[in-house]
Amino acid sequence: MITFQDVHKTYWMGETRVDALRGVTVELPAQRLAVIMGPSGSGKSTFLHLAGCLDVPTSGRVVCTGTDLGRLTSRERAEFRARAVGFVFQKFNLIPNLSAARNVELPMLLRNQPTPEARKRALDALAAVDLADRANHRPAKLSGGEQQRVAIARALVNDPELILADEPTGNLDTKTGLRILAMLRGLVEQGKTVVVVTHNPEIAESADALVVLRDGAVESFATTGGRDRR
Amino acid sequence: MTLHLIQLAVHNIRSRRTRSWLTILGVLIGVTAVVALLSIGTGVEKAVLQEFKDIGYDIIVIAPGGAARAAVQGAAGPQLMMGDGPPDLATPAGSATSSQTRTFTPGQIGAATGAGDTIERTFSPGQIGATASTPATRAATTVDTEALLANVPGLLEAGNLGTRIVSVETPAASGFLRLTTPSLAFLRSFPSTLGGFAIGEGTTFTTTAENEVVIGARSAESLGVAVGDSVTIDGATFEVVGILAPSKSAASGETERSRTTQNGTARALTGSGSGASFLTRGMTNTDDSLFVLDERATSVWSGATTNATTIVRMATGVDVAAVMANISTELTAQNVRGTPVSVQQIAGSIQGTLGMIETVLASIAAVALIVGGVGLMNTMYTAVLERTREIGILKAIGARDSHVMALFLIDSGLMGFIGGTLGLALGGVLSVLGTRLLGPTLGVGTFAPSFGAGLIVGALVASFVVGALSGAWPAWRASRLNPVEALASE
Repeated sequence: MITFQDVHKTYWMGETRVDALRGVTVELPAQRLAVIMGPSGSGKSTFLHLAGCLDVPTSGRVVCTGTDLGRLTSRERAEFRARAVGFVFQKFNLIPNLSAARNVELPMLLRNQPTPEARKRALDALAAVDLADRANHRPAKLSGGEQQRVAIARALVNDPELILADEPTGNLDTKTGLRILAMLRGLVEQGKTVVVVTHNPEIAESADALVVLRDGAVESFATTGGRDRR
Repeated sequence: MTLHLIQLAVHNIRSRRTRSWLTILGVLIGVTAVVALLSIGTGVEKAVLQEFKDIGYDIIVIAPGGAARAAVQGAAGPQLMMGDGPPDLATPAGSATSSQTRTFTPGQIGAATGAGDTIERTFSPGQIGATASTPATRAATTVDTEALLANVPGLLEAGNLGTRIVSVETPAASGFLRLTTPSLAFLRSFPSTLGGFAIGEGTTFTTTAENEVVIGARSAESLGVAVGDSVTIDGATFEVVGILAPSKSAASGETERSRTTQNGTARALTGSGSGASFLTRGMTNTDDSLFVLDERATSVWSGATTNATTIVRMATGVDVAAVMANISTELTAQNVRGTPVSVQQIAGSIQGTLGMIETVLASIAAVALIVGGVGLMNTMYTAVLERTREIGILKAIGARDSHVMALFLIDSGLMGFIGGTLGLALGGVLSVLGTRLLGPTLGVGTFAPSFGAGLIVGALVASFVVGALSGAWPAWRASRLNPVEALASE
């Protein structure tokens, strides 16, 4: 599904050169829950950004279902993100002045879906995460768990193959975190490929594939193998 | 897509209500200034040109000593006329010795009659009753219009209108008043200049052989005279043969007096088909004047400085320059110092001046609009900084650079447009109020501000463009943000 081939990523934070990834080669299985772990600064988030086409590698290739993401233009990357990827962030990243429903609609509107259909699908997506009654609330009126469920609804609304979650439970209490985790698991069962960056060992335990990064390189890669939950 | 972006932009504007309104206010003020100044400016120009049109572009004005422009200046601002105000005139003789400098005491008039008027220095008692002035005396001050018509081809009509201040005495009152001396030809050709010279009581002039005076309505009232009474004007006794009907402005009440009288008169004239109202406004306050035929006046007060303006109407299709040159030649031949000025020339020069003033005002207003634009740019720039994270989110969920750019452009353009729309409305209201206020002050009477379709569409388009241009750079910055960095920002 997602293949990293000797991927390097270097960026500058002011004057400081950061080698976030230093030759990562890994292949994440399709329709599985892959977990990326590692200490802070190990390059987990950068890995996820490259997988989700938010950024391009400095060198090496990131291939997602046959598409070399590094070769796409800015516009094509946007198109790819809109069509094939759903992001879930630690900080939820909802747009604060839009209602939950509007937030969920947004990815569809960016793809020129007619408004009534977008609204209907947004409400369906919210219902799927048990938030039908919160559709008209702004993010500030929602709890952290609710916000993250809105974010998941938003990530799913365009029916992408790939769900990328960056510390999705990091800002949530254990119980809510488990609920979010169960949802992500459920997505895999619906045939999505889910990649989760986390510090949470409980999530790692339920992973189909576990990548441990350290200092921008793969320290270990393991698949639990053959666990087909479909 | 565009519709969704507009919805989003509206959402953004509404969710930052205070700042959005302050930003819009900046644009609003600029547009208001531009709209108000331009519409007032265009309105003034239209009103002035309309007056010229009313006068007729076929009119040439000849004032002695080239003073034709004095009449034009009179139109640009209210003239201070001695004896203009009824309070002075209404002062009874008994109290005339008060501190009012304009009031004559009967004794002084008597002295003047006996020993020569110290103010009207050309007055000579011996000339009272003289049947005719010598041609030489007359030619020195006043254009011989008959000779002018005879010698200059292409002229249709000509007439003289003099005006000066005279001392007036009746049994009831005395004082200074303006004496207007139209020639018979003038009354025949350009009566509209004198409000149609509509007689209220009595008759108009019947002869040039007798001392006949026609009195303006208010003057008659303040002097306490009726048809058939005698009035002493600069020592000569005149019989009141007619009293003019009050002009429209006088009829509309005393409150409109003060500074607006002359404009009111001009309006009345325009309403009645008008004549050279604009040029001769100083002469056309018919309510507060006495009228004696020029022919009579020159014989009674031969040699008096009548300050006569000659008005000439050209035939249609004549060469204006040639006519003007011929008039100048004829004036020289008549030994009269005078400069012919065509209404076209005056209109042209005034239009030029107005255009320049308009340009300056519009430039100043444009600066206000630019300042508004800079304010908008500042807001948008701040918004980009504030919403960096939001931009990152939008990009993460699939927004293209162009979407982000459009979002910010529509945002700022919309604020510009709202400011423009409100500014247009406010500018319209201000200019309507402004013209009410300015009209009298400028001495152009009441006039309507002019809102052309060009001004309205231009203001709206300009405000949107200012908005979009101000937002262009911030929007471009926003669209170029790296999504990862944008997401990482707080």
